[in-house]
Amino acid sequence: MKREELIKKWLDNNLNTEEQNAFEQLEDYNDLIKMDATLKGFKAPEFSINQSYEALKPKLKPEQPASKQWLKPLLRIAAVLAIALSVYMYTSNLDTEVNTIIAEQTTIALPDNSTVELNANSSLSFNEKSWSDNREVKLNGEAFFKVAKGQKFDVITEEGIVSVLGTQFNVKQRESYFEVTCYEGLVGVTHNNKTIKLKPGHTFTFIDGKLLANEKENAVQPIWLHGESSFKSVALKHVIAEFENQYSIKIHTDQIDTSRLFTGSFTHNNLDLALKSVTIPLNLSYSISGKSILLKRE
Amino acid sequence: MSKPLQDNICESQLFERLYKKHAKNLHDFLYYKFGDHLNPQDQVQEAFIKLWQNCSKIKPDKAKSYLFTTASNLTLNVLAHKKVVLKHTQQPQKHTTNVTPEFVLQEKEYHIKLQKAISNLTEAQRVAFLMNRIEGKRFKEIAELLDISVKGVEKRIYGALKKLREEIDEL
Repeated sequence: MKREELIKKWLDNNLNTEEQNAFEQLEDYNDLIKMDATLKGFKAPEFSINQSYEALKPKLKPEQPASKQWLKPLLRIAAVLAIALSVYMYTSNLDTEVNTIIAEQTTIALPDNSTVELNANSSLSFNEKSWSDNREVKLNGEAFFKVAKGQKFDVITEEGIVSVLGTQFNVKQRESYFEVTCYEGLVGVTHNNKTIKLKPGHTFTFIDGKLLANEKENAVQPIWLHGESSFKSVALKHVIAEFENQYSIKIHTDQIDTSRLFTGSFTHNNLDLALKSVTIPLNLSYSISGKSILLKRE
Repeated sequence: MSKPLQDNICESQLFERLYKKHAKNLHDFLYYKFGDHLNPQDQVQEAFIKLWQNCSKIKPDKAKSYLFTTASNLTLNVLAHKKVVLKHTQQPQKHTTNVTPEFVLQEKEYHIKLQKAISNLTEAQRVAFLMNRIEGKRFKEIAELLDISVKGVEKRIYGALKKLREEIDEL
């Protein structure tokens, strides 16, 4: 047997008796045995399994650390979803709001094809999301409604609630001024817990805390839709207020009596003409200086 | 013997069994590979702590190679190829009667030569050779520990032996 084979077998502790004898006959047998004996001195330091395990034990956390590893990413996903959901809920429940500034009119299409003409210096808000359950708009100012047939339609103002089915009507709510005119169908006006039904052509007017007589209106649409504001026996201060809504000017009325009643109309397109139509019937004169107008007695 | 069907080692009794099976081998492996520059005992602990932290991801049959790889890497991170010099603990001499000062000197010289020669082995050779010569492990056991073939182990060990003899004769 070759020397190398013998040594390898010796290394692997795999010599049989015969091979052992042959191995011992090798010339470098003594060298090998000597080296082997010396090598034993390079032994690794003693390692006590039990002792070192006892030392390790406290460092192993009692609960299985892996069992909660799924929780963290899950919480992250949940947080993102929660934020996305709340943003969606917030934006979708937000009311749609339309505002007009002085001398501006606009037409708004509601989700059910009802339309609203919004007069100057007014605001209208409604919730598109809940529209199918609840036809409800909040109005501040003046607007003319053409309501598609359907469930109850409510116009909520600070002065009162106007509820209708399918109809056309005008709501005007200004400071201490509340006027509802029905043009078609039937309109219910709830004001101070009292409900009044308005038939076509009828107007509900509540000015300065007084309910005024209902007068028959013959127009098909409110006159402001055609660029005019008209009044019937309305105190001058309300006329002036509407005037200021239609023209961006400031009217000084210190020298005149604003509680006088005015019947008539003024146009929205011509300041001079409009001023004349208000002042002449009342025997007033006016002077313009820039954006402010002073009304005086003649 | 029926083995419990487990696909991870998070169960503490199983973990303890793994420790008792592999800790000593791992310790010796680290010592022969890197010497005691870094406390191999600490490295063993570190490796087992890592194993425990990742216990859910590691199957029992993969635990051993995970431990050896982790411990090796841990040690390597700190140890930038330092020369490995193993300490020699003086064995009690058998022939106490005829110890002459000359003999003692010769013995000492021989130790130093051997020590140097061991340092000059490659890591792979040194681990396989010393696990075999000192810890008395058979080729097959070493092959399993290191995840290499028995032939590979044989080659490493015989190569180491040859190299040692040559170096000692030269010195």
